[in-house]
Amino acid sequence: MKRKRSFSLTAGAVMVALIVAMCLVSFVWMPMDPEKMDTANRFALPGAQHLLGTDQFGRDVLSRIMEASRWALLVGVCSVTAGAAAGSAIGAAAAMLGGVLRSVIMRFIDGMMSFPGILLAMMLVTVLGKGILGSVLAIGIFMIPTFSRLVYSMVLENKQRLYVKAAQSYGCSRRRIVLHHMLPDMLPRLITQFSSSIGGAVLLESSLSFLGLGIQPPTPSWGMMLSEARQFVLSYPYIAVAPGVVLLITVLGFNLLGDGLNDRFVKRSSR
Amino acid sequence: MLKLLVRRLLSALAVLFVVSFITFVVLLCIPGDAAQLVLGVDATPEKVAALREAMGLNEPWYIQYLDWIGGVLRGDWGTSYVYGENVWTLLCQRLPVTFSVALLSMLIAVVLSAVLGILAALKKDSPLDILARTVMQLGGALPSFWLAMLFMLFFASYLGWFPITGYTPMSEGFGACLRSIALPSFVLAIGELGILIRIVRSSMLTALDQDFMLSARVKGLPPRAAIVRYALRSAVIAPITISGMQLAKLLGGTVIVETIFALPGIGRLMLTAVEQRDITLLQGIVLFITSMVVLVSLVTDLIVMAVNPAIRTGEEAVSR
Amino acid sequence: MNLCKRLLAGLLAAAAALSMTACGASSADGSSAGSKTASASQTAQTRTDLNMALSVDPDGLDPQRTTAASTFQITNNIYDTLLRVNTDGTLKEGLAESWETSEDGLTLTFRLRSGVTFHNGNPCNAEAVVSSFERLQAEDSPRAADYANFTFTAQGEDTVVVTCAELDVAALSSFAYPWSAIVDTSVADTLKNSPVGTGPYKLKEWVPQQSLTLEKNPDYYDTVNLETITFKMMPDATSQIASLRSGELDIISVSGDQVAAFENDPQFNIVQAPSNGIQLMAMNLANEALSDVRVRQAINYAVDKQSLIDTVWWGYGEPIGSHYPTVLKEYVDLNDTYSYDPEKAKELLAQAGYADGLTLEMYLPKSYPAYVSAGQVIADSLKEVGITCNITIVEWAAWLSDVYNGRNYDLTVVGHTGRLDPYVLLARYQSDSSENYFNYSNPEVDELLSGYKSEKDEAKRTEMVQQVEEILAEDVPAYYIQTPITLYVTSSAVEGFEIYPIDIYEMKDVSFAS
Repeated sequence: MKRKRSFSLTAGAVMVALIVAMCLVSFVWMPMDPEKMDTANRFALPGAQHLLGTDQFGRDVLSRIMEASRWALLVGVCSVTAGAAAGSAIGAAAAMLGGVLRSVIMRFIDGMMSFPGILLAMMLVTVLGKGILGSVLAIGIFMIPTFSRLVYSMVLENKQRLYVKAAQSYGCSRRRIVLHHMLPDMLPRLITQFSSSIGGAVLLESSLSFLGLGIQPPTPSWGMMLSEARQFVLSYPYIAVAPGVVLLITVLGFNLLGDGLNDRFVKRSSR
Repeated sequence: MLKLLVRRLLSALAVLFVVSFITFVVLLCIPGDAAQLVLGVDATPEKVAALREAMGLNEPWYIQYLDWIGGVLRGDWGTSYVYGENVWTLLCQRLPVTFSVALLSMLIAVVLSAVLGILAALKKDSPLDILARTVMQLGGALPSFWLAMLFMLFFASYLGWFPITGYTPMSEGFGACLRSIALPSFVLAIGELGILIRIVRSSMLTALDQDFMLSARVKGLPPRAAIVRYALRSAVIAPITISGMQLAKLLGGTVIVETIFALPGIGRLMLTAVEQRDITLLQGIVLFITSMVVLVSLVTDLIVMAVNPAIRTGEEAVSR
Repeated sequence: MNLCKRLLAGLLAAAAALSMTACGASSADGSSAGSKTASASQTAQTRTDLNMALSVDPDGLDPQRTTAASTFQITNNIYDTLLRVNTDGTLKEGLAESWETSEDGLTLTFRLRSGVTFHNGNPCNAEAVVSSFERLQAEDSPRAADYANFTFTAQGEDTVVVTCAELDVAALSSFAYPWSAIVDTSVADTLKNSPVGTGPYKLKEWVPQQSLTLEKNPDYYDTVNLETITFKMMPDATSQIASLRSGELDIISVSGDQVAAFENDPQFNIVQAPSNGIQLMAMNLANEALSDVRVRQAINYAVDKQSLIDTVWWGYGEPIGSHYPTVLKEYVDLNDTYSYDPEKAKELLAQAGYADGLTLEMYLPKSYPAYVSAGQVIADSLKEVGITCNITIVEWAAWLSDVYNGRNYDLTVVGHTGRLDPYVLLARYQSDSSENYFNYSNPEVDELLSGYKSEKDEAKRTEMVQQVEEILAEDVPAYYIQTPITLYVTSSAVEGFEIYPIDIYEMKDVSFAS
């Protein structure tokens, strides 16, 4: 059993490390300029000159995948950080405040969660503007409900605990109770959620880019590369393979990492 | 119990209100002018201004919002300016497509996840369990648009088993209709598998761990009978409620799959509404789908309350 | 263990059953297609039902309340116009049997065919025609401004007199456009969903997003070959091609990369013609850098037009050097004004004071993938000479309001559809035109264009138009790309399908070879 548990963690860590390494390498070295077109050489098959072939404008697919990893990780980490910070604050506030305000906040969070599919993110990105900043903000807001719900229930749970009652009795402020007394207890679950949310955020970003609502060309993004490949997929199937595989590895890596962390730190501590 | 029911209903209504309110306010901020879109590039500014007035776009936003709410309460969902058709009519036209895809994919997902999840729990750590967990992880991580493209390439283009894109209505034969929605349903089902296998497997594991299993064994029941009579029964509640929720949510989660397979469903309607800034239409779609989600969650909450008396007295049930 | 096995067996059986239905269905379909061809050859009858693909659902079927070309392609077959168009852009009789223009050009008299009725049986007399045009001039009509110049009066049962407030030398063509269709105004409010016209076909059934079926109007005054025409909504090009190959469709519209697969295939015909339209990259002269003609010239020098057309349109386009489609008779070939020369471009940029580079905002309309691609290729070429483009892909709605009307952009790629009258195409270059999204202003052009409308000598008019073309080619308020070539693929049995210089399909002339 213990062997299996660590498998998710190891596999996840390896995959994430791979993608992070690819991203870091891209700053030092890329096979070609990822945005340089070479229209005479388009739809080139994977080969010695272009390891993963070229796209419809003759751009090198491997270089584009490498550059796209920067934006995927940037959007993933930034948006989840923002969403987690805002969401946790809102959740904790709602749980500590109680009364009408709590109901109002939680109904609002419920409302955000009830939006069908990626509609909320789609609407937000149309308002906030496309591109990297817009994506980070939209996905960040999209992540708020998950974290507020999580923190809300954890704070409610902890409120009943003796140590909190004790802290209250000697006059600790509510903010201090949450930050100094509850946070250490909540941290493992937050970190777990953080990791799997990054997987979700990367997937969401690529979905938005696929629909043309995310990162704007010529900056590459995996979702956009796939959406461009879609037009030609029946004639040139190979251009749709590589970006999808890399995207899958990234999302799978963060999800596995989250699961592994969960098994190791959360389940163990709660039992 | 009754008091709790009323409270639950009220909070469901509050959620619907919040959702429609957010949609409305967000859409107001989207650039683009509905009147200009109707008239096209050749219209003079005066014409556009006149049409804006006629469409009620010059009213303050809260009046526009109240007008819309009032209409919905009277059963009038308004007219979509893109299609010039009543929103309710449009929804009724599109719903069968999305609903049949959602239903078929849930069916596939439920059957597969039940089989895989139960077996995985019974034979924990066996190769089968590893397979189930691999499917679970892949289901949660595979980008649906990529999977859809691969399926289309292999099953439709290479093998020719299914049409590449498009929807054949039920009226042209059940088989033809099934073939046209098979690939999109499979793509969605694989996404759902990620969630469902997890639930089935873990609730089955919990059930197997319960005291009643031990006492059943002590009473001399053969293991298989104990599993069927007790474990399966107690493990089935969570997956059923989750499946219901997922089905309702799928009604709005089909945008990408409908786009790729060119299905004329609610998802595509939603994308058009966002892109063309058709507030009335989008409001209608969002209200409709969230109503379904909220309704299902209400019903499942009630079922859980009825089954499990402990929840009645505690905090509100968290329905996810 | 046993339980596991049983469950597993069930799973396998289910999977097998599923794959069986899939195979079974496909083979059944194959045989039905086979039997269809068999029965066709047995009876040796000529088909009278045609299936055609449409990528966009029409936005209603009221020709007077839409601006969508995809809608006109259908409504043109349901409604009639007073005059009809030949493929070369000249006019012929339609609902009007004959017409004449007064000496001063201010009065047009149309004599209607007698005994024509609308699909619902109402008579289509002079009074009905006048009422239809009055509806076209109404407040909520997108074309109201175009027809404000005319006053319509009925004389007796079959004569309509049109008086122009100002001389308009191209007035006649206003009565051939699909939006000038004659509608039955007594059912004006329901035209959008239940069209009533006098055209060769009437609406049989419309299932939005799926299909639209027209059936022959038995009372039509001219020959109508086909009994029914079904437009099938298929937004996706790949499935359109698959359906054409399987015989489910008879006519589809294709792009340059797809047409290659049909060349030299005796089962299919390729119908192609340069369309009456142009595609360009507009520049906003309100931008300080772009207001300098040297910068605009540099942009023109920096991009290889033929390579752009080859990449984006797979070579299916005719390069242009000015704002004028190659198909119209006033066209002048000005492609050599600024031919590809990146060194020259850099030089000009340096002279204009942008030796260190320049950053411009480029907006591309998402609904048109070709324009999005073209924008990216242009941006890539411009980067070579030191111009950086920040690309934003916007929805059509936002493009209309921000770029086109708001003129809040530096560069954008878009297409313009030509009309029958050259003036309409060029009018947007007048300094005070509300459609002048280039913010272009040249007194010489203003003078030529304002003189054009009242010039009665056709040779002189042609000369004026050509002069404007030349000035624009020099001033380049845009990077003019090409006149696109419209491509259709039909099954080889289809005859009489032609491409017109305005956005219409003339389905009554289409038939199947026996």
